[in-house]
Amino acid sequence: MRSGESRTSPKGAPGPITRQSKGADQFFAALQSEEPLTVLDLAGASQANIMFITELGHRLASDDIVATMEQCFGDGDFLENQENSERVARFLSQTLKFPDEHFDGALIWDSLQFLAPSLLEQTVEQLMRVMKPGGVMLAFFSSDEKASQIPVYNYRIQDQRTLLLVPRGAYRPVQYFNNRALERMFDRAQSLKFFLTRDHLREVLIRR
Amino acid sequence: MWSKRREDEIQPRPVTPAAGPTAEPQRRESNVMSTPTRTFDPESRVPASGSATLGKNVTVKGQIFSREDLTIDGEVEGTVECHEHRLTIGPNGRVQAGLKAREIVIYGSIQGNVEAVEKIDIKKEAKLVGDIKTSRIMIEDGAYFKGSIDISKAAQVQRPTPVQTSNPTVPATPVPAGVNSSK
Repeated sequence: MRSGESRTSPKGAPGPITRQSKGADQFFAALQSEEPLTVLDLAGASQANIMFITELGHRLASDDIVATMEQCFGDGDFLENQENSERVARFLSQTLKFPDEHFDGALIWDSLQFLAPSLLEQTVEQLMRVMKPGGVMLAFFSSDEKASQIPVYNYRIQDQRTLLLVPRGAYRPVQYFNNRALERMFDRAQSLKFFLTRDHLREVLIRR
Repeated sequence: MWSKRREDEIQPRPVTPAAGPTAEPQRRESNVMSTPTRTFDPESRVPASGSATLGKNVTVKGQIFSREDLTIDGEVEGTVECHEHRLTIGPNGRVQAGLKAREIVIYGSIQGNVEAVEKIDIKKEAKLVGDIKTSRIMIEDGAYFKGSIDISKAAQVQRPTPVQTSNPTVPATPVPAGVNSSK
């Protein structure tokens, strides 16, 4: 199967799921501060996330990295398109255009696992650049080695440890991420903390 | 007799534009630059005489200052300021400009920074690339937004005139007092 054909139609997709997240709980605990902080949300703008983060007293920056991936690589073979230097340049020019050391926290959600290795490396490099030293990032990766498709969600924060996952299709996995692979990916980070959940999701808290 | 009958026939015809009695209505209509299809704002409570519209076939490059509610359904490049009034970007609106208003409702596409003293309402088909500064924000699922959000309660305190008392329908999702994320 061509990887570009691996996305499922939203028609057949299941409805929203509510799940508890220890990673989110610890992420927001790390953002407790009297001072207003700056938080990046890569799941696209939603009323729930805006309200939750601004009510903590923080400033929010919003971007939808999955939507940008769709725009840049979505027409045709999704993986093959990620090898096209022109498309890659367009993706990088639209993504993470923020000043150096700008964010105290970043909600990456599950977006990184759909990027091809070379583009993933460049994107992680950009993430590390825009994060302040000591800033925290929350990322999710599928822990199902045999999955032929991985669902992609919009993440809506309900409270500090409860997330509403709204399906927005599925992609064929690019590679499998175990703890070792993730440590290599974020080798410049101060620390990584893993939370393995029962629903085949590996939550990772990364401290820059 | 012939000439008198002819005068009678002529009478119902419109008089020339320079005639006195018709001059006033024409001036009232002059703020409507064209007539867009306004199916996007069914809940508008603003009387027609108190708002201006840039229609979908209108392009403006430069600065716009409005002392009344303004709807932009065309293209604007520059800056738009409607202090103390509501600014609506219609579904055909394409704006590359900095926007300032009391309240901003977005159905169309904006590239630029947006500042509203009271509220910003981003509808599901809207696209906004730029930074937001406001007291309250409403965003529908499906809207595209890329930029930062600065919730500033101070802006609401500085508002020079009171809110219209006839508008109790402002959505009840305010950010609690004291939550000032301005940096």
